[in-house]
Amino acid sequence: MTILQVAAAGALILLGIGLYGLLALRNLIKVVIALQIMVKGVVLALVAAGSLSGQINLGQSLAVTLIVADTVVAVVGLALAVQVRRRFGSLDVRELSTLRG
Amino acid sequence: MNAAVPVSLIIVPLAASPLPYLVGRWSRLIPLSPRMVALTALAVVWAVFALMMRDYVAPVTLQFEVVAFQVDGLSLLLAALVLALGTLAVIYSGPYMAGQTGEEKYYALLLALTGAMIGLACAADLFNLWVWFEAMVICTYLLVAFYRRRPTSLEAGVKYLVQSAVGSALVVLGIALVLAQTGTLDLAAIRQAAGDATLMPAAGALFLIGFGVKLAIVPLHTWLPDAYAESPSGISAVLSGVVTKAGLVALLRVAAALAGITLSWGMLLMAFGTLNIFVGNLLALRQTQIKRLLAYSSMSQIGYMLLGLGIGIYTGESSGIQGGLFHALNHGLMKGLAFFAVGAVLYALGRLSGGEHTLGIGDLRGTARRYPLIGLALTLALLSLGGVPPLAGFMSKWQIFVAGVGTGTGWIDALVIFAALNSVLSLAYYLPVINALFQDASSTAGQPARRLPVAIVLPVVLLAAAMLVVGLWPGALTWLTQPATSALMAAFGGL
Repeated sequence: MTILQVAAAGALILLGIGLYGLLALRNLIKVVIALQIMVKGVVLALVAAGSLSGQINLGQSLAVTLIVADTVVAVVGLALAVQVRRRFGSLDVRELSTLRG
Repeated sequence: MNAAVPVSLIIVPLAASPLPYLVGRWSRLIPLSPRMVALTALAVVWAVFALMMRDYVAPVTLQFEVVAFQVDGLSLLLAALVLALGTLAVIYSGPYMAGQTGEEKYYALLLALTGAMIGLACAADLFNLWVWFEAMVICTYLLVAFYRRRPTSLEAGVKYLVQSAVGSALVVLGIALVLAQTGTLDLAAIRQAAGDATLMPAAGALFLIGFGVKLAIVPLHTWLPDAYAESPSGISAVLSGVVTKAGLVALLRVAAALAGITLSWGMLLMAFGTLNIFVGNLLALRQTQIKRLLAYSSMSQIGYMLLGLGIGIYTGESSGIQGGLFHALNHGLMKGLAFFAVGAVLYALGRLSGGEHTLGIGDLRGTARRYPLIGLALTLALLSLGGVPPLAGFMSKWQIFVAGVGTGTGWIDALVIFAALNSVLSLAYYLPVINALFQDASSTAGQPARRLPVAIVLPVVLLAAAMLVVGLWPGALTWLTQPATSALMAAFGGL
């Protein structure tokens, strides 16, 4: 296996773990972590794509930008989790289902 | 044209966005209101935009190293809509948000959102497009969950964040696929560079899902009613009126870059459009809360835009594209007006803070008698959404239908007839609301009637007037839709 194939496989596995976590996990903080794992898979894919197309600099700078943007999303997600814990008294996402219809 | 003009169109709102926050924080040092600072910044952006429109003849391309911007007709159309609704929302939110915790952050975020959307409109490479998209989405996360003491608002924020974040991740995965196969991210160069790359349809599908979350394409719509209903009314108006359009523009840009080498975008947009029209209507029919009803009606209106654009892209005729873009502008006006008017009723009933903050259809009783202007404006907005002539919504739907029938293809005719019947179906949920508006005020008789401040009435009146003008004189917006249509036609390259 070449290093690129390993990277592509790793990206897909991380994406899979993240998606599974999003579906299966009940704790809001764990949901945010699952999102992070998913995006880490995408970061790996970007770097691999850059090296595959011969644009290593481009791929890596995109990956760094993605990490920054993704961290902001994680911060907002965790801030929401803090507020949810305060107002609902629990981090269980199943409790977040008062809005229906 | 001087390159400084398009650059400052993006830079000014972004650079000014911390100012309302700082002014609000240091209110003892600086005796200015955050809202006035935001309005001043927007006035400067308006001036830049006017300069831009005056000198605009052909698309302007700007290249900073690998980051490319292009200001074309589509950018101007989105920028005009963003500025119009953004400014009205800032004016409107003065009394609406007065005294809320974090009022200064609200205006800072609204300015940043405006800048991010203008940036998105002007992005000319794939990753740049995504960065602006993400910046816009992050601002909206915070604005949707703005009432952080309200559990329902937090719930809407969490649902919105998780779905959007997954969508964003999929978009970047699509970008990685494009980069791996073509070695370029320049939207205009992707098509040549792609050759016979095999994984491009997968990238197209990822983009459709990722941007589709923001567009509320049918299976990805579940965040929409919660987010629209739980955010402050000014933000509902901006979300529904502009943020969905920004998602649409992002999708169109990407679709144009991949046109011909991937999926048949025309057919896809028509299919999803029709599905959105139908499902949105069905879900709206059973709503009793007016803001949720308007949210689901947004879904069906997005369907009309997609249908028009799909017809145009499929046949290569400009009339369908122009109809779709015209409907996008009109929907911004109509839905902005509807949310502003509903917010005015909420304000009048004093339901902005405290336990009850929803508005059922029954709560609207007597509105037309007590607040005739608001009642009339909401009636006009709803009739226009339902496609009643001679209002703005009718004009653009009509243009879409004419474009569809003009193709002379049997199954497109069938789609058009289906969409037209759905327009009638939509009246089934708009009319009860109008009926309630003009009923006697028996249920709310005990409520104290509050005077509505000018800042709330003014945006409502302006949008209602704009809608009437567009309805009676549909050519009033051609100066925006015409260049945008030719920009899109050029991007799709006569396919």
